[in-house]
Amino acid sequence: MQRVTIALGVALALGAQTVAFAQGRPDFTGTWRISQAKSSRSVVGNTPDIQFPSQLEVKQTASDISVIATSVRQRPLSATYKLDGSKVDVQAPEGITETGQAVLNGSSLVITSRRSFSSPAGDVVVDFKEVWTANGNELTVEKTRTQVGDTPSTQKAVYDKTS
Amino acid sequence: MRTILALATVSLGLLLAAAPLRAHHSFSATYDGNKPITLRGTIVKMGWQNPHAHLYVDVKNADGKVVTWEVESAGPTTLMKQGLRKEDFVGAEVIIKGFLAKDGTPTVNASSFTLVEAKKEFVSDEKTP
Repeated sequence: MQRVTIALGVALALGAQTVAFAQGRPDFTGTWRISQAKSSRSVVGNTPDIQFPSQLEVKQTASDISVIATSVRQRPLSATYKLDGSKVDVQAPEGITETGQAVLNGSSLVITSRRSFSSPAGDVVVDFKEVWTANGNELTVEKTRTQVGDTPSTQKAVYDKTS
Repeated sequence: MRTILALATVSLGLLLAAAPLRAHHSFSATYDGNKPITLRGTIVKMGWQNPHAHLYVDVKNADGKVVTWEVESAGPTTLMKQGLRKEDFVGAEVIIKGFLAKDGTPTVNASSFTLVEAKKEFVSDEKTP
């Protein structure tokens, strides 16, 4: 009888943990298309302050999240981040190297990345921080760009779920 | 005679329209949105033409070499609406936020620039300062 009680207790505890995990963990899986109407003008106009992809294809598992980002006149770029915050290499266009890390923070996903490339002014290093928040069929991405010696700038883009 | 005059008028109109159309290109055709850059330098020349004003800015690299950058900005009307005057420019120290050209030349599309001494920022999209 005592063994049955213990087994039941363990099962209940595990079940409760699973439910809590499922309820508290945000899921960004889906195909998201940028909404020009909902995003600030400077992310979709002809003179962007910070560039955002026009489409995001996201697949999330318990341990990682993969993102295929499509931008105008560019081939899609993919990245798979470990959700434990460990650093990974991110696919970038030719001439650019990028590393990034992702972590779930409450109902948000936080992706930080560092991009490096050369320019006629010398080597350039730019840091990005993206905070993703999903609300039903809407995904808001707040992106901050920081370059050494510069004040950070932040822009917000809103995506609609298409599938 | 009327036909010839009409044709000549249309041709002249097309010719006049062609120049600004050629100069008015899309961002993604010329600039790389993956390569944001911030530059600090001194304005040495100003091109005050439509559809984009162009600043020429001397920027000192880490190795001390000075490179003159061409900076494409908003049109003169947009800049003047924000309080900029042609005489504000040459010799002024400026901080530019923008994106590198795809062809690797010292050319940048400015989303904004700030006159350091005047502490005034000018944005290419005036609705989102």
